[in-house]
Amino acid sequence: MIVAVLAGFVMFSLCVGTLPTAAAAALCVLVGGILLAFGHHSHGGVLVIDVYARRSRYFAWSPALKTACCVLLLLLCVASASPWVPLVLALILALLTVCGGGIHLHDYLALLSLPAAFLLLSGLALLWDYAPAADGAVAIPFWNGWLVVTAAAQVRARLVMARALGAVSCLYFLSLSTTMPEILSVLRRAHVPSVMTELAVLIYRYLFVLLSVYQSMKDAAASRLGYSGFARSIRTTGSVYGNLLATSFRRSGACFDAMESRCYDGEIRFLEREKPVTLPAALLFGGLLAGTVACMMIGGA
Amino acid sequence: MEELLRFEHVSFAYEDGAEQRLALKDCSVSIGAGERVAVLGSNGAGKSTFFLLSNGVLCPKEGTVFFHGEPVGRKKQELNRLRRGVGLVFQDPDVQILGGTVEEEISFGPMNLGLSREEVRRRVDGAVERMHLEDLRQRAPQYLSGGEKKRVSIADALAMEPELLLMDEPAASLDPENCRILEETLDMLGEQGLALAVATHDVDFAWRWAQRILVFQHGCLAADRTPEEIFSDTALLDTCHLAQPMLFRAARAMGIRPLPRTMEDFEQAVSGRHREQGGERI
Repeated sequence: MIVAVLAGFVMFSLCVGTLPTAAAAALCVLVGGILLAFGHHSHGGVLVIDVYARRSRYFAWSPALKTACCVLLLLLCVASASPWVPLVLALILALLTVCGGGIHLHDYLALLSLPAAFLLLSGLALLWDYAPAADGAVAIPFWNGWLVVTAAAQVRARLVMARALGAVSCLYFLSLSTTMPEILSVLRRAHVPSVMTELAVLIYRYLFVLLSVYQSMKDAAASRLGYSGFARSIRTTGSVYGNLLATSFRRSGACFDAMESRCYDGEIRFLEREKPVTLPAALLFGGLLAGTVACMMIGGA
Repeated sequence: MEELLRFEHVSFAYEDGAEQRLALKDCSVSIGAGERVAVLGSNGAGKSTFFLLSNGVLCPKEGTVFFHGEPVGRKKQELNRLRRGVGLVFQDPDVQILGGTVEEEISFGPMNLGLSREEVRRRVDGAVERMHLEDLRQRAPQYLSGGEKKRVSIADALAMEPELLLMDEPAASLDPENCRILEETLDMLGEQGLALAVATHDVDFAWRWAQRILVFQHGCLAADRTPEEIFSDTALLDTCHLAQPMLFRAARAMGIRPLPRTMEDFEQAVSGRHREQGGERI
């Protein structure tokens, strides 16, 4: 709801002045409406991404290829001088994720609304400025001066937001088609320091354990009316978190014992299933990369 | 019978803060190849500590653990020899599970042994087959049911190809159907010549399955005898808060000899008796 209103407002601020006011208002209502219709919050965001990734049709593709290409595309997005390249790329990747990967549009937009809130808030800060004189596409009198949106700020905000949107959709394409353990194994093979990848493996694994412990603690507290009333809710939440910390400590000891019992020697290794690079995957990513580079060259020339 | 594991006057204390409490006191015991041992005792009696010491996760404060007659010291290499030869299945599979897929999870142990890829693959395939996990190979362990997780955690230990497998209350939080599957698994592993030690609170199971029973109490090994001797010793059962198995009591009350281990044996003995009595009457 808040995201939808925010999105509408930011869209309006972005376009006002360049498009006729009626068109800008229509666009603002359209974007807000789409987000309002589809973008309601889903629960347990992390778990959901993991489930979708396993369900995606791109799950069988080589994780190394997917990771490498998504990172390259992301870099191109961020480096792009024109807002159109990342915008088009975001659209293509969203279409691929939704139509090709088999993720529901509704789920995709719901997931997108999480980073969108941050993106829109920063867009707002980029667009609106406080100035002593009213010179800009929009100006609202405020406290001895004006809140203005200048044309320069609009150009800058469009570029930054397009880049961010492109980058987010690259990452979403990757994380909605590749599971965390696969991405981590790619990073390990790419010689990312093992401290980082191993921490990530452990965090990934115990996230699920902690979440389930947290859920059962919360349910247990709720069954004893721990959340009746605001003050009591806060107290209960505090003690649940405190208990969670104590439990995690105890659990981490037990988990380490379990690893030791299987000859853990300071390095986590698994036997990985080979997912070779297939022709359609190579063609798709080759095409995307070549297209993006070509567009950027033409735009730059 | 070849001796696998021997404890000689082993003591162990957990250090929690200033207080030191002996979790295991002067324990001497030995387990041979192919034995089926049940480990009984109330909560906190020292069963889990005994298992962690047997597996080399903990090191004794006093006394020595021997594996194949050789003492196991504190060096990583020696401990790993013990960890390889003695598999441990933890009570809570969530503590043990680490991998992104069932296959990866099972491969963690063998990969740590520094084996070749082919050998790891062979062991993983073997463990998957023995625990009937074919359909779950590519599934993520965090989404499996309790019974399935248990099977994965047993496969984890089997992939290390141990000579002795320790299980800490494997039937805890399993439904009756999964308990039945678990017992079948235990029978199968026993038949394949693996020595098994199972910690349990289920005296009926211990009576049905074990060749030998260890009873722990307050960190001491209170008894190490055959099931008949243990369950006939009412004084011991009283002090250790153990009950007599149902079949044991029923058969004793009816004066059936030898005492039947399974329900089927019991039914046979009873129906045999009816036939005899019927014959007399005619």
